[in-house]
Amino acid sequence: MKYKYVKDLTSDVMFEAYGKDLKEVFENAAHAMFETICHDVEPKDKREVTVRADSVEELLFAWLQELIAMVDIEEMFFSKFEILSIENNELKANVYGETTAPEKGETVVKAVTNYGYKFEKTNEGYKVTVSLDI
Amino acid sequence: MKDQLKKLNDNEWILPKSVREGMKVDGKIIASEKMLEAIENEAVEQLTNVAMLPGIIEPVIGLPDMHWGYGLPMGAVSAFDAKEGIISAGLCGFDINCGINLIRTNLTKPELEPKIKELVPELFNKIPCGVGSKGKLRLSNEDLDKVLIDGCEWAVKNGYGTEEDLKNMEEHGKMSGADPSKVSEMAKKRGKPQLGTLGAGNHFLEIQEVTDIYDQEKAKEWGIKKGQVLIMLHCGSRGFGHQVASDYLKIQEKAVEKYNIKLPDKQLACAPVTSQEGKDYFAAMKCAVNYSFTNRLVMTQWIRESFENVFDKKWQEMDMQTVAGICHNAVKLEEHTVNGEKKEIYVHRKGATRAFPGQPVLIAGSMGTCSYLLVGTEKAMELTFGSSAHGAGRAMSRHQAIKSFQGNDIQKSLADKGIISKATNPKVLAEEAPGAYKDVDEVIRSTHNAGISLKVARMIPLGVIKG
Repeated sequence: MKYKYVKDLTSDVMFEAYGKDLKEVFENAAHAMFETICHDVEPKDKREVTVRADSVEELLFAWLQELIAMVDIEEMFFSKFEILSIENNELKANVYGETTAPEKGETVVKAVTNYGYKFEKTNEGYKVTVSLDI
Repeated sequence: MKDQLKKLNDNEWILPKSVREGMKVDGKIIASEKMLEAIENEAVEQLTNVAMLPGIIEPVIGLPDMHWGYGLPMGAVSAFDAKEGIISAGLCGFDINCGINLIRTNLTKPELEPKIKELVPELFNKIPCGVGSKGKLRLSNEDLDKVLIDGCEWAVKNGYGTEEDLKNMEEHGKMSGADPSKVSEMAKKRGKPQLGTLGAGNHFLEIQEVTDIYDQEKAKEWGIKKGQVLIMLHCGSRGFGHQVASDYLKIQEKAVEKYNIKLPDKQLACAPVTSQEGKDYFAAMKCAVNYSFTNRLVMTQWIRESFENVFDKKWQEMDMQTVAGICHNAVKLEEHTVNGEKKEIYVHRKGATRAFPGQPVLIAGSMGTCSYLLVGTEKAMELTFGSSAHGAGRAMSRHQAIKSFQGNDIQKSLADKGIISKATNPKVLAEEAPGAYKDVDEVIRSTHNAGISLKVARMIPLGVIKG
């Protein structure tokens, strides 16, 4: 399983994303978040992303925040995430998507929040629990 | 925790500080018994967390429409001392200055009815709405800075709205002391393409009819009559405000460590009001407040243009003036009487409306139900730091609502009630289905009977535009 939505709160949603390695958990968390934001998005255009943080736990949080901001700034929805490297708490990725259109939009995600945020090493790899304020 | 509430009277409940170790002050909930039943225990518990923060002033307030939110419920007010207190991005909310503008017309329902099927799509096309809609304005860096500093004064200079509009808006559409240098580049990049966009979620544009007047004198003063058509616009500071809030939550998490603030919940990240981090947040938050005020006034002008196109009259002839423009999520430095002494305090309203005596208060119902215009009172100054409720308050999560309702069914049931609706995605109608919200009439009864704001007029929707 790549991810699943686990809890509903009145103005938040919470998902868990999994990965056998760091790259996979970062990719799957992005997929989970974009399921809330949009649908049927073709990976037509590429954007390059670099994100830095103080720890890998914070890096995942920052990666998702960066993608939320990119929806507004690039006016694009994303559907494919290619993590190129995660080294020394710096992530480089190519993300693919297409120009935004209201018919492909679902919900505005205002922010990633600290509510229940967890980044865990498991026997199978990694698991992250994320809440989105919507 | 809810079982520890002590009834003070039919609409006031005290949560004594003795219920939990570390609480510095009591909590207070303004709600009828019926309304209280709908409030989650977790939301009540969140009030106790806030009661532990430094410089908190008694009491922490929960309003009738309160429901669980990030750190503090939506529908809550917390006030802090201007010397010993803190300021918090989480206690203000992510959508800074989410709020409502109410615009009047001199049209009546019979005049509107033959045109409404033309008007709703016209508005829908004129106002960018929905996730992924594109704004029509593309601000330069210089113009964005002017919006952040001058708020609606920028709008008026650029042909959106008039001086008359500013008179009836909270802060006259501009909070002074906004400093764009305290706002991240990321927030500015998000803000530039989105000015003049409605957004999605619970944001809406509604055409309404006044069905009842409760306070003739006040209604007359504000130009409101029974049978009149009004327009209600609910939206916020868009990605700009969300980014300011996210940026400062991070900064304030660090400030908590730096200033050794003991937090019962990490979500309550904050900074001392006198610290650089605290001052910077206040200056950045004001930018988002001004952005949002401007956003609503820009769209007000487009609403006027849409009416001009459909009714073939100038908007001035239709008396399309702003009745009120109010904020829901904001921190304000205000003078209040605390323990018999007048002092300036930082009032955080999260999902709450300012209700100063004589000022307009707008409480929006859920989609398809009625909304109210009220007036603020002295009682609100005594009880709630001059605050009132802001809406019906969610009873059901957005996901649960999508599972429980079908957008097309909702559209049909609105049509059966004579309400024309248009949304970018039927799911939005399901998310915002009236059944996902509490009963706005009960919220109004609680606020009116508690005396924190008094009813002036009731409106029902005739047309709804959702993002």
